[in-house]
Amino acid sequence: MKSKLILIVCLATSLAGIIAPRAVASVSIGSKENVQIGGFFSQGWLYSNNNNYPTANKGGTWDFREMAVNVSTTVGSHLRVGGQAFAQSFGELGGDKVILDWAVADYNFTPAIGLRVGRVKYPKGLYGEALDLDVVRPYVFLPGAVYSPVMRDFNASFDGAMVYGTLNVGRSSVDYKLFYGDIPMNPEMGVAEFYNNAGLYTSAGTTALAMDSVQGGQLTWNTPISGLKVGYSYSEYTNLNTDGKFVAVPSLNLHTNIPSFTWNTISAEYSWGDWVFAGEWQRTEGMFGYSAPPVVTAPGSVIGWDGWYVSAARRLNAKFELGAYYGYLENRFASATTADAQKHQIDYALSLRYDINEHVLVKIEGHYLDGTYQTFNTTRIPNPPATRKDNNMLFAVKTTLSF
Amino acid sequence: MKKISLRRLIALVLLALAGTPAFAAPALISNKNVAAEKIDAATLKSVFLGKKVAWDGAGRVTLAVLKGGPVADEFLKGAVDMNASAFNNHWRRLAMTGGGTAPKSFEKEEELRKFVAETPGAIGFVDSALADASVAVLTPAS
Repeated sequence: MKSKLILIVCLATSLAGIIAPRAVASVSIGSKENVQIGGFFSQGWLYSNNNNYPTANKGGTWDFREMAVNVSTTVGSHLRVGGQAFAQSFGELGGDKVILDWAVADYNFTPAIGLRVGRVKYPKGLYGEALDLDVVRPYVFLPGAVYSPVMRDFNASFDGAMVYGTLNVGRSSVDYKLFYGDIPMNPEMGVAEFYNNAGLYTSAGTTALAMDSVQGGQLTWNTPISGLKVGYSYSEYTNLNTDGKFVAVPSLNLHTNIPSFTWNTISAEYSWGDWVFAGEWQRTEGMFGYSAPPVVTAPGSVIGWDGWYVSAARRLNAKFELGAYYGYLENRFASATTADAQKHQIDYALSLRYDINEHVLVKIEGHYLDGTYQTFNTTRIPNPPATRKDNNMLFAVKTTLSF
Repeated sequence: MKKISLRRLIALVLLALAGTPAFAAPALISNKNVAAEKIDAATLKSVFLGKKVAWDGAGRVTLAVLKGGPVADEFLKGAVDMNASAFNNHWRRLAMTGGGTAPKSFEKEEELRKFVAETPGAIGFVDSALADASVAVLTPAS
């Protein structure tokens, strides 16, 4: 009932944006004195024909929406404070629960150095800080090989501090970001599905997730070539831990630990006229150990994946934008007995965006997915082996109102 | 086929030119309290991309931009090497992710000029024909 109500509100809000764009622009949304208000509402329909991927959407679901409202203001010449509330429904994930997406105090000393503290957007790759921003791209889904949609709630921001700035180097410049903090975690997050899929816990899944810290940095070189930037991002989680009921002996707690989990991402983006080309490569790695004393203590095994994609998008005119990408995701440490189709995932995607007006857009997107790596089989995203297929068609329609 | 006389052809060309909306080069304008700031091309880029948020002696930077059109396209291409669409996306990203305060955007150049004239620390651009004495007209050092 609550879900239907939210769906109706989202559709009504989008419709209001379509039929009355001037009215939307005239209300006190936007910038008032030095208080700025912004946000977005989106509602989509998501359909898969064979498997529940990326979430529980086989046969179609309307549980595919995002909402955010942000407020920010400036204090004096160098300080800015603000925050954004966010909620999403993504199949069985999210549940429209409102979370604090970001909330920062940002002091910009000079262009070369600034300090941002609070809940800060997590810089990883070209688009890691802008995972939800439909308005800046033609795609419904960023390439899943590098930006897993299931991990949105986990990978969006961290609690801590970031030092950032830009250094001019001849005719080019380098943007840098260095950060330290931790990511609050809970079993409701999509990231829990990575653990729940491992077959170690009962159907209830993991009941506790936590990490000690996340730290890393990002360098982006804005090259002397017009429109070309290249970047490198590194981040590390320390002591990523989970607990839950051990599937073999439910009376026992099973504890898992990854002492260090690393993300390395190399990125390039080239804007040329109405074209935007991008490509990214990402490698993850960690040592995964688990124990349920006195029954089992595993010494640990290496886990991780490689993912990469290439994409091209073209703004056709003021109304239409077309995009396509090819993504490849591979389990680096699959066991010898793992079926070939479960070791990789190839993703062919084609998107079309239509801007109804300045505030409202509609996107349609089709995917052909070959392989089932990171196609989970859990209570929330069921894909029993008996019905799971090696390939899948994914179709998404989404409308977004932004202000 | 009926021939068109030279005189008639010239008249048609002049008529067409007269009907074509022409614009002069974009002019960089600011509130008069910004006039003493040292602004070169790198500073200008830094300001319009949100990396420099405060003037040396004129308080906080307030950006004023046109929503679109040839003046915006020409200015943004020269100042930040982006078209209006890319520039808007850049600022949407910053504003929606806690990275900056988005520019004030205007449909009409007269409104933009008025805002800049009345707002300390404001900087923007208009068609040079519309840059009047209410604002400072800046020429970035090369």
